[in-house]
Amino acid sequence: MSLTPVSDADPAARRRLIGALATLAILWPLFQAAEVKPGALFDTGNLKVIGNFLAGFLPPETGSEFLGYLAKAILETLAIATAGMTLAFVIALPLAYLASGAAREKPTLNPFTRSLLTILRGIPELVWALIFVRVFGLGPAAGVLALGLTYGGMLAKVYAEILESVDAAPANALRHSGASRSLAILYGLIPQAAKELTSYSIYRWECAIRASVVMGFVGAGGLGQLMDQAMKMLNGGEAASILLAFMLLVFAADGISGWLRRALDTQPAPKPSPFGARSVFVASTLLFAIGASFGLLDISFAALFTAEAAHSISEFIAGFFPPDLSADWLGKVAQGIWETLAISIVGTLLAALAGLLLALPKWRPPFNFLLNSLRSVPELVWATITALAVGLGPFAGALALALHTSGVLGRLYAEALANAPATPGRALQLSGASGGLAFLYGTLPGAAPQLIAYTLYRWEMNIRMAAILGFVGAGGLGQLLYFELSLFHHAQASTVIIAMLLLSIAVDQSSAWLRQRMR
Amino acid sequence: MNHSTLRRLALKSAFVFACAAFTVSLPTFAADEVLRVSAIPDEAPTELQRKFAPLGKYLEAQTGMKVVFTPVSDYATVVESLATKKIDLAWLGGFTFVQAKIRTNGTAIPIAQREEDSKFTSKFITADPSIKTLNDLKGKTFAFGAPSSTSGSLMPRFFLQQAGLNPEADFKRVAFSGAHDATVAFVAAGKADAGVLNASVWDKLVETKKVDTDKVHVFATTPPYFDYNWTVRGDLDPALVKKLTDAFLKLDPANPEHKEILALQRAAKFIPTKKENYDGIEKAAHAAGLLK
Repeated sequence: MSLTPVSDADPAARRRLIGALATLAILWPLFQAAEVKPGALFDTGNLKVIGNFLAGFLPPETGSEFLGYLAKAILETLAIATAGMTLAFVIALPLAYLASGAAREKPTLNPFTRSLLTILRGIPELVWALIFVRVFGLGPAAGVLALGLTYGGMLAKVYAEILESVDAAPANALRHSGASRSLAILYGLIPQAAKELTSYSIYRWECAIRASVVMGFVGAGGLGQLMDQAMKMLNGGEAASILLAFMLLVFAADGISGWLRRALDTQPAPKPSPFGARSVFVASTLLFAIGASFGLLDISFAALFTAEAAHSISEFIAGFFPPDLSADWLGKVAQGIWETLAISIVGTLLAALAGLLLALPKWRPPFNFLLNSLRSVPELVWATITALAVGLGPFAGALALALHTSGVLGRLYAEALANAPATPGRALQLSGASGGLAFLYGTLPGAAPQLIAYTLYRWEMNIRMAAILGFVGAGGLGQLLYFELSLFHHAQASTVIIAMLLLSIAVDQSSAWLRQRMR
Repeated sequence: MNHSTLRRLALKSAFVFACAAFTVSLPTFAADEVLRVSAIPDEAPTELQRKFAPLGKYLEAQTGMKVVFTPVSDYATVVESLATKKIDLAWLGGFTFVQAKIRTNGTAIPIAQREEDSKFTSKFITADPSIKTLNDLKGKTFAFGAPSSTSGSLMPRFFLQQAGLNPEADFKRVAFSGAHDATVAFVAAGKADAGVLNASVWDKLVETKKVDTDKVHVFATTPPYFDYNWTVRGDLDPALVKKLTDAFLKLDPANPEHKEILALQRAAKFIPTKKENYDGIEKAAHAAGLLK
């Protein structure tokens, strides 16, 4: 392309060039901070190491003693996810009621509850788990509570927003005729919002299964704990069995959740009572699952409410205040923030590129299988493998994020591209453009806003994940937090947690701003 | 859309969730007849369980209590559990003992240690032939065990500092493998250029041929220091503390049953220990900046 302004040149050339240069100027230091060295990927020594490790995956471990551990861990993971969701639901109901502007005389937002929700959501569940493991000691109670709090925050926010987004007229009518706010919500808003509320709750349960696996990495029990051990010891056979079990679990949860959401979409047959055999089945399964989960986990909640526990918890929490704000420590934390930010941005960008390439072929084997496999392996597990490939450090973290996220984005991109208007591309092809050009200038621009929105949305998730990848040696804030918590340096740990919180809020804000700008 | 069905479905699920959350029975804990034991996970938790099994049976016979061993994956969890009275007896490292002492306001009591623990060492290992002395570690990636490990983190760090090396500044990257056997796996796989671990685990891995010594070799050893002990929480019944202490000290290598227990613990025999033995570790921890 010629840059001299001749008549048939791209009129936007100068703006595009400046944009490209500015992007490079911003990205360059980030790539530096993430220590991106693609060469390390193809280093023969590294390839041999990772080859040996992956070769160790076969055959998967099938010893009866190990399978026993595995079965127990799967049950525990399911139980943690289910019990955690139950707790989240119990936390979310009152918070959503308080936070929502729905069915209020003056639709004010409750700033106190809103900021509480931000804190609950902003601190990654893994960090909650790490703290709760210390407070409540051994076993899965920590995982359940961590899930309960983070997901309670998320559910409450989304419930509140769903209630605000439905038609307010019925609720207003009820209020004007004297109904209390809670009754107005119950009879005026929930009937309209029920499907969306239920659908989102089911989706979250599916996420909870993934999350409960990851929390095992900090000792909260379940499959993750087993996986952490196998990965640390580089025991390929065990890792393969655990990974297979995990993928089956995720696919099954995916399937059940899809089935339930489809069931919500189907019109019930017209009959006197909507309570059919299916409702009874679903309700009793749910009840049984929750009961069994709490039974299996054997969490002594009573022990949490004794004076002694209250004392030790308050003492533990008091240790986090005041945070260490000395210049020396803030300098270290700032470096951690920079590294974490770099990991999240480089990881998301690489994922966007790979995801786009993977989204191009038709949704059929082997591509859909590849995408599903990429996204069903958690980032922390990918990080263990990428650390072998490129050595410990932020690049391993960025690659791990990229691998998992490209699976997620690939699928979303494929849907967005399929839904993009087909006419411009077809018109270009009819006027003689090649398939590639027709895609670039016809299809892609139509889908671009959606692609960018998905990417930014994933970046918001990835900043939280990047903050904890340090637990497995990928640098950034996670490694600082793990180290300081191990040494009971709570004042220092507290600064790191605040930094994580601020970072995730800042990324949420800039992502929202960017999405606004792109519209 | 059929609103009434959806409303009922939503109300039903809400009701079911709420009922289930509140009616689940709260199990109570019978702490009196159970001796709750844990250990810092300096090796894989499955290995710790295997090692503990015969010792647990022996302690059951000696105390008349049911002994329950809970494996964990995090050092600090053991310290915190001892401080919050969630466990009664714990296998601690020198540094985790100091942490436990501080977190229990000096009440935690060390009751016994292995004869070997009074002159414990750490081994620096590498698979890189160009690393021959500690100074060659500059600019390399280095793996410690867990951050709060005595022999995998604190003492090696202390001796590195005495040799004029600051891990964070001089090494290219510092990693924490989490456990001693994991450190060997890291180094053998090339995930880290060099690492450090406890001499006892290294010897065991060499004896059982779990490590290829043609590839991974020791290039430096630390001076000796005090390490591991069995610690009880301070408010345990003194009669029980006495029973437990005697049980450990009574283990006799001449008795074949005891010999198996001692072999699994990698101990010639157990000897009494006292808090003061670990003052040196506490000083080193302050010097290395791991205690504030």
